[in-house]
Amino acid sequence: MMRLLNILVIASLIFAAAFVYKIKFDSTLQIERVAKLHGQIRRERDAIATLRAEWSRLDDPARIQALAERHLTLKPVSPTQFGAFDNLPSRPSDAVPPVDPIAAILNASRPEFTGSIAPAVGR
Amino acid sequence: MAFSSTVKPAQARWQRVMHALLYGNDVDRTVKAKARLILVVVGFSIIYSVIAARLVMFAVASDGHGARRTVSQDAVATARPDILDRNGRILATDVKTPSLFAEPRKLIDPDEAEELLTAVLPDLDRKELRERLTSRRGFVWLKREITPKQQQEIHRLGIPGIGFLTENKRVYPNGPIVSHELGIVNIDNQGIAGIEKWIDGQGLAALHMAGLATDRLQRPVDLALDLRVQFALRDELAKAREKFKAKAAAGVVLNVNTGEITALASEPDYDPNNPREANDPTRINRLTTGVYEMGSTFKVLTVAMALDSGKATLNSTFDARQPLHYGRFAIHDYEPKHRFLSVPEIFTFSSNIGAARMALAVGVEGHKAFLKKMGQLDRLRTELPESAEPLVPKHWGELNTVTIAFGHGLSVAPLQAAMGIAATVNGGLLIKPTFLKRSPQEAQAIAKRVLKPETSLDMRYLMRLNAEKGTATFANVKGYYVGGKTGTAEKVVNGHYSKHKLLTDFMAILPADKPRYLLLIMLDEPQPLPETHGFATAGWNAGPTAAKVIARIAPLLDIEPRFDMPKADQLLLVSAKESTRETR
Repeated sequence: MMRLLNILVIASLIFAAAFVYKIKFDSTLQIERVAKLHGQIRRERDAIATLRAEWSRLDDPARIQALAERHLTLKPVSPTQFGAFDNLPSRPSDAVPPVDPIAAILNASRPEFTGSIAPAVGR
Repeated sequence: MAFSSTVKPAQARWQRVMHALLYGNDVDRTVKAKARLILVVVGFSIIYSVIAARLVMFAVASDGHGARRTVSQDAVATARPDILDRNGRILATDVKTPSLFAEPRKLIDPDEAEELLTAVLPDLDRKELRERLTSRRGFVWLKREITPKQQQEIHRLGIPGIGFLTENKRVYPNGPIVSHELGIVNIDNQGIAGIEKWIDGQGLAALHMAGLATDRLQRPVDLALDLRVQFALRDELAKAREKFKAKAAAGVVLNVNTGEITALASEPDYDPNNPREANDPTRINRLTTGVYEMGSTFKVLTVAMALDSGKATLNSTFDARQPLHYGRFAIHDYEPKHRFLSVPEIFTFSSNIGAARMALAVGVEGHKAFLKKMGQLDRLRTELPESAEPLVPKHWGELNTVTIAFGHGLSVAPLQAAMGIAATVNGGLLIKPTFLKRSPQEAQAIAKRVLKPETSLDMRYLMRLNAEKGTATFANVKGYYVGGKTGTAEKVVNGHYSKHKLLTDFMAILPADKPRYLLLIMLDEPQPLPETHGFATAGWNAGPTAAKVIARIAPLLDIEPRFDMPKADQLLLVSAKESTRETR
């Protein structure tokens, strides 16, 4: 009986030591992973910042103006080119009402019962 | 027996305890050994159970230390917040760049290192580099902010004792378009001018000292600036400076209802990416750090003062038949009319005599108090750390009042004058200009009432009248109902006013019936041209420049073109009639 207990205790001792070691090893791995992810996040943020700065440089009004003058035939907007909604003429009413062929087909076949609507029972 | 039972138990108890502990000479050896083993087993199992309990506790309770691990390779220079314009476009941002350092103690061969490095970085000073590499210090910078390509090449050289640290470099993607307002930073990313310096003063410097400002997770700074308007203004100022061969050109677009500075440009300026040019004294921000006699644009304030005090109405007339003599000085008009002039005529003809008589009607003390109320006699402090004190005459008598009435004798910063004139047209509220975004509610909260609303209405129509038939007709852009006032000031050279060195400026409000923006254009020493018929006054150079700027920026500022507005005369008659009806 005592021998069995001894063996059991020694076995659990070895097992406990191995378990603790494994936990420590795993936690070290996770910490390293977290640090690596933090580093990756930082690098991504830096890359985003660099790209935003590059976009602003390309979107610079002076550069766009120079390119527009060189390649496009656009001219500056004059005040007479703006209109207000109040100045728009109202829509003219149609002499002949427009014919919609698809609506005509739909109305003609009268689909009161579709696949999902069952016909009323007893009617 | 009772007696023996009380004495014996004490002794027997002690003996029994000793027996139980197996402490004694007469206890069986094997029993003792067994008991000792059991004791040891119990002791260790207690210890292990404590460890197991702690393990369970650690597993159940989440770990509280979420402290971010800062890698030692991280930035040394402060990370600064981005600066954005009012539409969210980036004006200034940080970019990570590598910087080269050396640890001279770990260098094996300084000569080889020096040769290899100067091959890759040819602009390094050889003597200085040699000095640094042979010194016995632990850490020394070799070159800060090198390009990634250079970093790769130096890395491939494989010199021991050389390393890289990433630093934050401040880049201004728009170059010189926004220069004075943004300011510049030094190599350690500390602001030394402009809004950059203001950001430092807001607590970034304290954060940096505490070592907490190395990351880029800071809220960006929103400016009131509109980059497109700024570009249009600066572009036109550069063209005007070239066309009129002026020494300098400056302009500001001010939102009169909120005090926001939508655009501010002063040519010549610098590229904040090359801060070396910023030290040049000709490249100052003339709108905040220079003081000038603004000339006839000051008449706006004089007329507003006279109307507001009740000493004059739109129908009042003043004697402009002869030059006004004061001691040995005589005030002349630029285009003398030799008759009595009404207030609108004084404004549209820009009569110095009329303005002087209006100021004298108010009196010296009243004039001084009014200008102080309008913020023209004190230094204007904005977010920019640079500001200038106005030059106020020490002894202010009637002659000073007479000259200050038409803008000579008092030198103010142009932004100050713009603030005062904005107050005359926005309903009578003086609002301090700001470079940061400000909502109308915040502006109302800090606004100070300086004029009656009726005075403001009169001033708006006077400025519109001036644009229709006065000196500001060149700025009358069709469709935008512009109002304006020109100003031509003679500059002081060697103690005398010089007839050939002029400072011309122009104040435009748009739209004139309900002004939203004030535009100030200032040209320093514009030259007469054949197409201006030999004249160099403001109506010929600052006015047309303002017209070009307004044509470009009005669509950007959401100002609707209207072609059916009534003439200012008709509106003035109505308001003059109302004022005479009241006085009757």
